[in-house]
Amino acid sequence: MLAGIEPGLVKRVGLSTTRVTNLLATGGGEPAAAIIIPGPGLNYRKLALPPNSFLVGGTVDFRGRVREALNQDQLEEAAHSIAAREIKKVAVVGKFSHRNAALERQARELLLKSSPQFDIVLGSAVAGRLNFRRRLTTAYYTAVTGSSWRYFAGEIQAAFKRRGIEAPLNILKADGGTMPVETSLDRPCETVFSGPAASAMGAYGLTMDQLTSVAVDIGGTTTDLALILEGEPLQASRGALIGGQYSHIKSLAVRTIPLGGDSTVRWQGGQLTIGPDREGPAACLGGTAATPTDAFNLLNGEKLGSSRRVLESLARPSGLTAEGLAQKVIKQVVDRLEEEIQDMFRSWEQEPAYKVWEVIHKRKVKPERIVGIGAAANIFIPALSQRFHCQALVHRYSAVANALGAAIARPTLSVTLHADTERGRYFLDREGLQGKVDSQLQLAQAKQIARDHLTEMAARQGFKEYAGSYEFGLEEQFNMIRGWSTVGKLFDVTVQISPGVIKEFQGVKL
Amino acid sequence: MKKGEAVDKRPTGLVFFPAFDWAISPTHPEREERLLYTRDQLFEEGLMDLPQIREYQPRLAGVEDIARVHFCVPDVESQATEAHRIAAGGALTIADALMNGEIKNGFALVRPPGHHAMRVAHGNRGFCNINNEPIMVEYLRQKYGIKRVAIIDTDVHHGDGTQDIYWHDPDVLFISFHQDGRTLYPGSGFTHELGGPLALGTTLNVPLPPGTTDEGILYLLDQLVLPVIKEFKPELVINSAGQDNHYSDPLANMNFSARGYARLNQKLAPDIAVLEGGYSVETALPYVNMGIIMAMAGLDYSNLYEPDYRGEEFTESRGRLRRLREVVEELRPIFLNREALVARAREKYGSVARRERRIYYDTDGIDEQQEERLYLCPDCPGLLTIDSRARHRGGQKNHIYAVSIPLQGCERCRQRGLELYRENVGRAGAPWDFLYLQDRVADNYRREPGGRLA
Repeated sequence: MLAGIEPGLVKRVGLSTTRVTNLLATGGGEPAAAIIIPGPGLNYRKLALPPNSFLVGGTVDFRGRVREALNQDQLEEAAHSIAAREIKKVAVVGKFSHRNAALERQARELLLKSSPQFDIVLGSAVAGRLNFRRRLTTAYYTAVTGSSWRYFAGEIQAAFKRRGIEAPLNILKADGGTMPVETSLDRPCETVFSGPAASAMGAYGLTMDQLTSVAVDIGGTTTDLALILEGEPLQASRGALIGGQYSHIKSLAVRTIPLGGDSTVRWQGGQLTIGPDREGPAACLGGTAATPTDAFNLLNGEKLGSSRRVLESLARPSGLTAEGLAQKVIKQVVDRLEEEIQDMFRSWEQEPAYKVWEVIHKRKVKPERIVGIGAAANIFIPALSQRFHCQALVHRYSAVANALGAAIARPTLSVTLHADTERGRYFLDREGLQGKVDSQLQLAQAKQIARDHLTEMAARQGFKEYAGSYEFGLEEQFNMIRGWSTVGKLFDVTVQISPGVIKEFQGVKL
Repeated sequence: MKKGEAVDKRPTGLVFFPAFDWAISPTHPEREERLLYTRDQLFEEGLMDLPQIREYQPRLAGVEDIARVHFCVPDVESQATEAHRIAAGGALTIADALMNGEIKNGFALVRPPGHHAMRVAHGNRGFCNINNEPIMVEYLRQKYGIKRVAIIDTDVHHGDGTQDIYWHDPDVLFISFHQDGRTLYPGSGFTHELGGPLALGTTLNVPLPPGTTDEGILYLLDQLVLPVIKEFKPELVINSAGQDNHYSDPLANMNFSARGYARLNQKLAPDIAVLEGGYSVETALPYVNMGIIMAMAGLDYSNLYEPDYRGEEFTESRGRLRRLREVVEELRPIFLNREALVARAREKYGSVARRERRIYYDTDGIDEQQEERLYLCPDCPGLLTIDSRARHRGGQKNHIYAVSIPLQGCERCRQRGLELYRENVGRAGAPWDFLYLQDRVADNYRREPGGRLA
């Protein structure tokens, strides 16, 4: 791919990889155990937990107060069992540990004392927002994939080096941003589902305006959908699904449908079905089964191979002509895509709202443009955009837009601060960081603390040139009243560098 | 669900609307912070990620949804702010999801609350302006043709607003159990409050002695509430779910626990629960709300407990149990013999039953005087008229006249009601600022300035 390009001229490498996605899909990675400190609430004995999970007593509450001490006997028993199973990777995850990691840290210390061979991931370090179950999933799979990812990242770095490319290596994340490869070593799970994120960022790179676009990446077997709302790639509200559970991995709101250009077309019980499988390439490209690509080829003058033959033989029993069947296939694909897109917009509109202001100001947004991505984009995008009465964009770079997305995506970073002035502390959702605040803290100061941390982290990770591109998301403050007087304030503040493009990228010509 | 039927796999619907930007006043118990720790607990627990729970976004209740229940003075807009309309709308959202078959049951975890709001609403009383459960129930009756409903008010305060709205309705069973009115706001809810003359026995009140524990409340449920519901055969059961029976509540003196609440909801198996009061924002609400949701969704709540709960300190006293047994023995026969009670009331009152009352609005400092007339009818629950004058703290006065034709109203009562309204709207020199018509039969609601202004 770099044929004809001097390796020394490469300034930046953006890599989108399915390495971790595939590890998780195939159940690969290293065996890991989970030490879970749930405190009161759901009965975790009755819920589906990761393999090698152990429940240990101890309670931290929502204010970060330790209410019940860590049960050291249970911890010791768990350590024995884990060691006996020759497992080294251990995730330690407590409820509300992001408000106080004391029990998690104490557990780590005790575990390492008895079993120094353990390699321990703390929930508070990798997932610091509310949602214990997602924290557990994130920490556990961080433990599972850590070593494999470390090895893979090392190999990739060596490979670039061998080719004379010394430029910094950036890994694409599910949220449509990148992180330096060094950061990824502690956060391998953030690289999952970067494929759909790459195509979404490709669509973003092709457009870069304030319109609401739907990115439609039609592959051979599947189609990826992503939304760009008024110029901003839409983030999923729940985090990426890993091993069937939601995680704290920030992810774009993408949807993968088992329907692509090579999906097999057949009759099933009198119904025309398309996919979800693919038998091989389209008939016109040397395959044997009729596919949507064949239907398109036939209706557009059959410039390629033998689409008519397979469509005719499939159409015959139904009394349709080959053209009739082809039209039916195209319509059915476009119907399905339209339905899924509508549903994505509906889900976004139906996101819960917790403030009067949010309910009153709920908006309805309509797609203004469908952006086609991938080699098969031409086939369906025009028809699909007609359904929404909006523009269609199939750019000459559409076929390689996902590579474009990986190359131009800028780093992202998000820091959420929770401050509790009565307890005199603040907590960050990254790296288990915390600090002191005084009782007179105001919102502006809370925002400043969060911003300072963001700037520091960006600099430490080597992308301080993007630290100025921050914006504040969540800004909440609550007065704590006991009796009839104010005893403190609670703040929740998020500051982030959102998905966007690197400074060097100025857009593409249409 | 009856025993032996297949387990209902549908999720429990949840509208969580903490109104993080709304308060009665900055330090009022009904303030932004109230459901903050509940939010933390529910979100940290990841309840909304479970397949057993489906979260919905609340909508705004319409003006007509509110006028179907209340005579708002001077109008709906001034009694129901956007926050109130979203809280009521959250209940309507759950009602729709239930009737569409999307959920097996649902919980509107919303604020502001409503159960002290009466049929005539001059202002806020007991933190309530409009009453979420009746707004939902009347919507269900109007839109889905539901007829018989049971509302069980489990808040520690007497649900006097809901009682007032269904006082004359024999098709809505209202049971409230609450801390004895001699020791707590609003000072009503005694066993002799049984409903209007044509609906006697479908309002039941159980004053609980202060200090009552899980055991006492569950006893009451088993011995009175559940058998009465079974006998009444409602199409829907609603839990008006206050959480201030909790041992840590700052405004009341009971000893109920989070697991007790869960058990109560498991036994009661309400189709819909709607949050009412509960002001122990850190110690009770996060755990009680979890308990209600877990019980409704069929989740195991055996690991749910307040970190400071010491169950052994809360054993039921023999004195309280004896008192509860007496109440059960008093009320059960009344409910079973309600038809005879109604027949006797008909003889006693003849054609018109009058009731005069003073109603105090604690939050807004309003003094209301009301005269109610029920025109007794052999064929329907009867036409109701209300003459109500309110004096506000600032000296402002409002005087209204309202005509209410019940949902089950016969054509003769309806015509009479329409006639009364027309006559009085046109009457020169009449004393009222506003006149109201509530025609539940035609689902038609009107309000016009009275003669005094004309």
